[in-house]
Amino acid sequence: MTPNGAFTIGLVLIAMSLTNPGPRGTAILIALALAFAIIEVRGAALIALRRAMLVVLPLALFMGLLWVGIVGKSPAEIAAGADGTRAAALLYVGSLCGRLLFIVTVVQLVVLRFDALTPLQLIRALALPASVKRVLVITLSLIETLRHAIDRAHIALIAAGTLTRAVSLRNAVHSWRLIQAVWLSAVTIVLGRMRDKWPVENTLSLLDRTLESGGARLFAGDDRIWLPITLGAAIMAMLADRIGAS
Amino acid sequence: MGRRELISGPNFSGRSGALMRLLRDGAFAAESFYVGPYSEAALSGLTSTIADEIGIYRAKPDIATGTLARRAFAPLDFAALGRREPQTLSGGEQVLLALHCFSLSAYSALAIDTALEQLDRENRDSALAYLDPRGPVANVALIDNRLASLPGWRAIERTADTAEFDCDPRRPVAELPRRDAPAIDIRGLRFSYRRGPDIFRAVDLSLRGDTAYRLAGPNGAGKTTLLKLLVGVLAPTAGEVTLGGERYRPWRTGNRAIALATQNPDHQWCGATLRDDLARRRAAFAAHAPAERLSEARNGDVAASLGIRSLDAHLYELPLAARKRLSWLWPLSGALPWVMLDEPSLGQDLDTRLRLAEALSALTALGYGVLFVTHDDDFAARIPHRVLALGEGQIKTT
Repeated sequence: MTPNGAFTIGLVLIAMSLTNPGPRGTAILIALALAFAIIEVRGAALIALRRAMLVVLPLALFMGLLWVGIVGKSPAEIAAGADGTRAAALLYVGSLCGRLLFIVTVVQLVVLRFDALTPLQLIRALALPASVKRVLVITLSLIETLRHAIDRAHIALIAAGTLTRAVSLRNAVHSWRLIQAVWLSAVTIVLGRMRDKWPVENTLSLLDRTLESGGARLFAGDDRIWLPITLGAAIMAMLADRIGAS
Repeated sequence: MGRRELISGPNFSGRSGALMRLLRDGAFAAESFYVGPYSEAALSGLTSTIADEIGIYRAKPDIATGTLARRAFAPLDFAALGRREPQTLSGGEQVLLALHCFSLSAYSALAIDTALEQLDRENRDSALAYLDPRGPVANVALIDNRLASLPGWRAIERTADTAEFDCDPRRPVAELPRRDAPAIDIRGLRFSYRRGPDIFRAVDLSLRGDTAYRLAGPNGAGKTTLLKLLVGVLAPTAGEVTLGGERYRPWRTGNRAIALATQNPDHQWCGATLRDDLARRRAAFAAHAPAERLSEARNGDVAASLGIRSLDAHLYELPLAARKRLSWLWPLSGALPWVMLDEPSLGQDLDTRLRLAEALSALTALGYGVLFVTHDDDFAARIPHRVLALGEGQIKTT
């Protein structure tokens, strides 16, 4: 399977989940995701699910507290001017967070499918225009730079006694100092690179050559099996509930 | 034999500028690989794993022979470290990674601005052997404060063209009264980075005030990690630390006893200007430091001794060597009983290194606790000290 094939399957699953399918359509999408997880991702699928739950759980708790605990009715009931029930609010929160859990899990499954590849290898293997690949690499580079800057700012402010490593009131009071230190660090890291290293080496040209030599294929191998199945499942998911309703 | 250019001279003599002019000279090379003083100018910054960093630079092998243009420089098993982030390597290891990337690349020329000063003796010797004029590299330009000459290299001697950053770190220490630094006792210290090997395995260590300690060990042994644990940037997996007999957990309650000068000075600024930076330190340590050593006037005097006349100087607009000197300000101000310096002599010329060694010796004689990391044996030899040897998860006092 190529990265393009896996990303296409992921995009179709996510797009279909956003079309608000009924119970039968949802079941088809879940079955397809499950098949992809078992056949292509195997044991790492549990890691994908755990990561997705870590992302979604805090939001689910917050929304549950807000809609079920405080508001006590669903947005649809509010719009209709009905009295509303906590059960409807719970259903609303469950459906929204369930969909989000599905989307994050699918993203994780696709990424973990290529866990053996490093980020650069994965981007090289994508059949995309060179400019898009360069944007992906530079975006990852900026994320790394920010992480580096956060690390630097932490060292500075903890050693200077302004922050503590553990959660503390001091940290809350001085959080804006951390933000200032992070931005200053990030800017200087980037400038350091662009002033000295990159112009001497022509590092970005080197990156372009590296990305071009990836030998990426649009679709190949198992894609020929998975893509028709995915498209068929998407059509079935769209039609299943309409047929059921009629 | 290729060209070998050793650019020497004191700080602020325009060595880095001379290096850049050389690199822009088409006769030296059309394109050169550059290893700057710190990671942002040593690594590409485009990758999040070591394997990818190598992947960007790796040239295609010759089609006919299947071999690379030159012998690879591989002091570490970078294949085994492939999934790690380059930023998790120590400063010296990052320099080794950069040299490894160069050795696999198609660049014919290499430029190094003081980066070899971060290497331990063994790695430094093997790097210099790799750069030997009879070796596999075509053209090399090097700035290194610890080298006045090298066989087969052309020396380009620069002279200082400014006294603007005149620095004497001995002056602020001479004005300090005696201070009895409390002892630091470490028991059963364990630490490992996430998904990494044990850096420390049940380490027991006692550090007395009025003593200077040199943390010694190969690149990546955990020297900087120990400093980060003691100031509270990292938390140990297990173990206890006491300061003056009382439990000390800076990772929970904050640093209150240690003035740290980091290896890369830009890892320690907490403000845009020197005044901002010092104001935050004074506020944080008001309850733990003598008031007269925290005053703005005192801080201004120490800054002037280190070559910076105005507290309103924008830190990031100063030259790197001047920023490095300013990183000593807080330790030399005498505000806190323990001073810890990570590679303080990096990028500094001989006169400044000698003066700094004298200042640290004087601090120790005054009763301060001093812990320093350096690969510069000549610098260390000028400070009466005990050696803390790091290796295989242990620290041995010799």
